[in-house]
Amino acid sequence: MKFEINPLRKRQVLGMLIGTILGVFLFLFLSSEANEEYKSLGPMNTGHEDFSCSSCHSDAEGSLWAQTQSNLQYSIGLRANSVAYGTLDVETKKCLACHERDNDRHPTHRFLEPKYKEAVEKINTASCITCHSEHNAKRLTLSKVDYCMHCHEDLTVKNDPIDISHETLIATEQWDTCLQCHDFHGNHEYKTPSVMKDTLSYEALDIYFNGGKDPYSTKKKFTALSEKEWIEKFLK
Amino acid sequence: MKNLTTLTTPFLTLLLFACGGVPEKKETAAVEKMEFAVAEVLEMVAKENDITRTLYTKAIVGGGKKQGMKFDEDWQKEEVEAGPLPALFLRGIANDIRKSETPLGLYLGSDFPINKANKLEGKQADLFKKIKEDRKPQFFYDENQEVHTAMFADVAGAGACVSCHNDHEQTTKTDWKLGDVMGATTWQYPADSLSYEATLGVLKAYRNGTKAVYEDYLAEISKFEKSEKPEIGDKWPSAGGLYLPSPEVFLDSVRELASYDTMKVLLN
Repeated sequence: MKFEINPLRKRQVLGMLIGTILGVFLFLFLSSEANEEYKSLGPMNTGHEDFSCSSCHSDAEGSLWAQTQSNLQYSIGLRANSVAYGTLDVETKKCLACHERDNDRHPTHRFLEPKYKEAVEKINTASCITCHSEHNAKRLTLSKVDYCMHCHEDLTVKNDPIDISHETLIATEQWDTCLQCHDFHGNHEYKTPSVMKDTLSYEALDIYFNGGKDPYSTKKKFTALSEKEWIEKFLK
Repeated sequence: MKNLTTLTTPFLTLLLFACGGVPEKKETAAVEKMEFAVAEVLEMVAKENDITRTLYTKAIVGGGKKQGMKFDEDWQKEEVEAGPLPALFLRGIANDIRKSETPLGLYLGSDFPINKANKLEGKQADLFKKIKEDRKPQFFYDENQEVHTAMFADVAGAGACVSCHNDHEQTTKTDWKLGDVMGATTWQYPADSLSYEATLGVLKAYRNGTKAVYEDYLAEISKFEKSEKPEIGDKWPSAGGLYLPSPEVFLDSVRELASYDTMKVLLN
C-alpha cells in the first residue's frame, strides 16, 4: 500500500514552518537594541526619553532557555521556586539609584513606618510608580493631586504666613492648592509665596505634571543621575 | 500517535532537564548560624543611636550655638547657612541606611512633635504611652509589612533638646525638661534572628549613615558665603571658637562612647 500524506497534514506542516520562521524573525527583530521602541509599552516619561530599556529593566538570571526550563520544572513541582522571565521587575530601589536625595521631603521609605498603614492603603507613596508610572510621556500620572489629605488633614500652622490660612484651606478641602506653594519632593529652590494670588496657577502645574515647563524654579539642589552617570557609578 | 509520542517525549525531557535551568537560590538562613535575636540587635543599634545623637546634640549643636553656629530645619536649602537639627540628623541617617543593602528601618516620632507629620499614631502611639511610663523598649511584629518592630524612648539628654523644642515657633509643648521622654525611635527589621555578619551589617549601616550625614553637614559648610566657616579638625566647639571635629574625630568619639555597650552584645 502506497503511503500518502494527507493534504491537511501538509497544510499543518506548512503553517508550522511559516509560524516558526515568523517567530524566529520576530524574536531576532525584537531582540535587537535598535528596535527597542517596538517593545516599549509607551513613550518614556519626562527626563527619561533617551534611556535604553536595560537602564531600568535588568536581565533576569539565566538564559531564556534556562528560565523556560526552570519555570516548566516549577510548574510540575520539580523545583521550589519559579524564576523571573526575561527581565526583573522595576522596583523603587531602581528609581532611587538615580533619584535618591537627602533633602527629599517625602522619601518613599518614610511611608514604611507603621503609622502610615492606612494612608498607604489609600495611596501607596512607598512606591515611585504610584505617582510616576513609566511609559506615559509625563511627570505625574495621578489624575488628581489631592493626595496631601491622607496625612495632613489635621495640620495647624502657628503664625500662619499665608493670607488664607492652612486651616481654612483644609477645612474647605482645597487640597489641590497645596502644590501651588509646596513642591512635593522639596528639591526646588524658590521662595514660598505668602498670598494666595501669588501662588502658582493650577494650569501651570498641570502643564508641568504633563511634562511641560517647570513652574517652581529652574534651580534645584540635587539633579538626578543621567544614564551615563548611573552607568559610571553602578556598572563600572 | 505513537510516532508523535516517540518524538515529543525526548524533546520535552530535553527541554526540562538539559543544562538544568537557573540554579536555585540556597537558603542562607539554613547555612548561617543565627547568633542574635532581632530584639537584641535593635537594642544595640538603638543604644548606639542614643549615644550618637546625644553627642551631636550636646557637643555640636549645643556647643556650636554657644559659638554662634546656626542649625536649622532648612539646612540643605541654598540660602540657609546652617547645620542639621538633631531630629534631621537622625532623619539623614535613616535615609542613608535605606541606600544600603541592610533592610533596617528607622523613624523618630513623638506625642508632641514640632511637625505634626512626626506625631505617633495608632499602635505606635499606644506603645509610646507605655514607654513614657516605664521607659522600657516595646517590641511588636508588624503583620502588614512583615517586619519585627521595636520602639525605644528618646530622652532629652542635652539642654539644647529642651530649649530648642520649648522655644520653637511651631512647638506643641513648651515645658519640656531635661530627662523627659520627648519621643521614641521606631526600628524595623524583617528577620527574627541575625547571624554575626548580618548584625555587623546593621551596625555598619547605622555608622555609615552617621558618617554620611556628618559629611553632608561639612560639605554644606564648605559652601557658606555669608557666614564664617568653622575650622574642621581635632577641636570641638567646646574649645572656645568656631571649631568642628572632622568626621574621623566625631566618629571616633562615638565609637569610644558606644564601644562598651556594643561590644557587650557582640561578644556575649
